[in-house]
Amino acid sequence: MGELTAIGFRPGQSLLHRLDPRTKQALLMGLSVAGLWENLTFLVLCTVVMMLCVNDAGLHIRRLILEIRYFFFFLCLVFGVRAITFTGGWTPTLRADVAGEALTVCWRLLLVVIMGVLLMATTRTADIRAALVWYLKPIPLVDEKMAATMLGLVVRFLPVILFQGAEIADAQRARGIERRKNPLIRLMRFTIPLFRRVFISADELAAAMQARCYNEQRTFPELSFTWRDGLAIGVGILTSSTVLLP
Amino acid sequence: MSIIQISHLYHRFADGTQALDDVTLTFNEGEFTVIAGANGSGKTTLLRHINGLLFSESGTVAVCGKSVKGDPFAARQQVGMVFQDADSQIVGETVYDDVAFGPENLSLERQQINQRVNHALAAVDLSGFENKMPHHLSGGEKRRLAIAGVLAMAPRVLMMDEPFSNLDYPATCRVLEYIRNLHKNGHTIIITTHDLEKVIAHAQRLVIMVQGSVVEDGIPADVIDGIERYGIRPPCSVQLGQGIRPWVN
Ligand SMILES: Nc1ncnc2c1ncn2[C@@H]1O[C@H](COP(=O)(O)OP(=O)(O)OP(=O)(O)O)[C@@H](O)[C@H]1O
Ligand SMILES: [Mg+2]
Repeated sequence: MGELTAIGFRPGQSLLHRLDPRTKQALLMGLSVAGLWENLTFLVLCTVVMMLCVNDAGLHIRRLILEIRYFFFFLCLVFGVRAITFTGGWTPTLRADVAGEALTVCWRLLLVVIMGVLLMATTRTADIRAALVWYLKPIPLVDEKMAATMLGLVVRFLPVILFQGAEIADAQRARGIERRKNPLIRLMRFTIPLFRRVFISADELAAAMQARCYNEQRTFPELSFTWRDGLAIGVGILTSSTVLLP
Repeated sequence: MSIIQISHLYHRFADGTQALDDVTLTFNEGEFTVIAGANGSGKTTLLRHINGLLFSESGTVAVCGKSVKGDPFAARQQVGMVFQDADSQIVGETVYDDVAFGPENLSLERQQINQRVNHALAAVDLSGFENKMPHHLSGGEKRRLAIAGVLAMAPRVLMMDEPFSNLDYPATCRVLEYIRNLHKNGHTIIITTHDLEKVIAHAQRLVIMVQGSVVEDGIPADVIDGIERYGIRPPCSVQLGQGIRPWVN
């Protein structure tokens, strides 16, 4: 449960905190797309800007690395798959030019993840949701308020499911489930009560929401663009335009 | 003036359990009532009817003169309910979001919402917790958060289902204190419990339920004698022959 909540909102007054969530989401999308060009100048510049933002937002680089440590395993895997070739026999070889390319890919992925963490750390979930509603509004056939509620429920519910799963596992271990060797039986014994409890909690949550007058016509967080957002978009466009440099 | 009227209410669950059996009760504005009964006597089911979470097959429930079945939304606005299990009541991802959830549903202005949230959090001593995750709070803090979430909706009636379960001594004293303050400020209070010890000294009325029926209803001093026969433990002071005494000073 702790793992999930580690990358959560941290209150603060930094530039990123004060930006409109819509700006932050647009920048995340824009810079991620710009990264597809895999232009070295852009990657270096973007990394510098991100490090400045991380620093400004009051996150510590060490904490950040610790929080996304599992992602590094994934990056190593990506690097291995991309960079190691089997020439002729079964001896793996590492070629410098291919390795360079693989490294750029990993770098790009890492940047996207860091941007994601920055967004999560400096924006309340309610604001992320409100921005999502704003973006979804012009799309036909999508009920943006329903989508926002669903997103909120997932965020609210994931820790509960994980927590209950852990509790059931503990309770069963305490009663010696380990002596059952058949993994299928163990899986059944685990999932059936988990599902039952998740359904019961969902029922209770629905009752709690009803009891507090839940309906679709609600007040959403107020969003407003300021000069800061203009500035941030400008910096984002300038940074992105470096992909055109050689 | 009566604020809640229940008449000849029956409720049978799908599996055949008769949870409420001809309940007729009236609650007056500003009254502090304790509903006591053994496990499974139908206390929670009764509260759910008043809050419009369950509907009767026969009998009526009215809040402020309006049928709950006809307009559950209006009833829920007048009657706030704190659930037996505080965990299942938490809806928001942060303490602020959770308390703001109700006022947001009422489509209030953001400024008014913030005002209500600050007020409600201050009332339960949780100011400064706005950005915390509800799941990281202690049991007592969660209960107080649940109360704040209901207070922010400014209901006239506050119903609490077993408000003292899982609370330690200081937390119980605090919650008790809030309840008494709310009552002093004119709120109508309805509390269910199977343990009378903590609240009974402050209540004006005691209702006893057995297997879905109301068997006793009156001022606590009159009802409390011989209460064991309904499966409820009398408060210590009563057992010692000293009458009803406050649990804390
Ligand atoms: N969803 C349900 N389906 C079937 N029976 C139910 C359901 N909910 C409650 N009951 C039954 O209805 C009866 C009254 O339940 P209720 O929860 O109102 O009791 P209670 O007085 O609140 O008890 P407790 O002190 O344990 O909270 C019990 O016999 C219970 O088993
Ligand atoms: Mg109950």
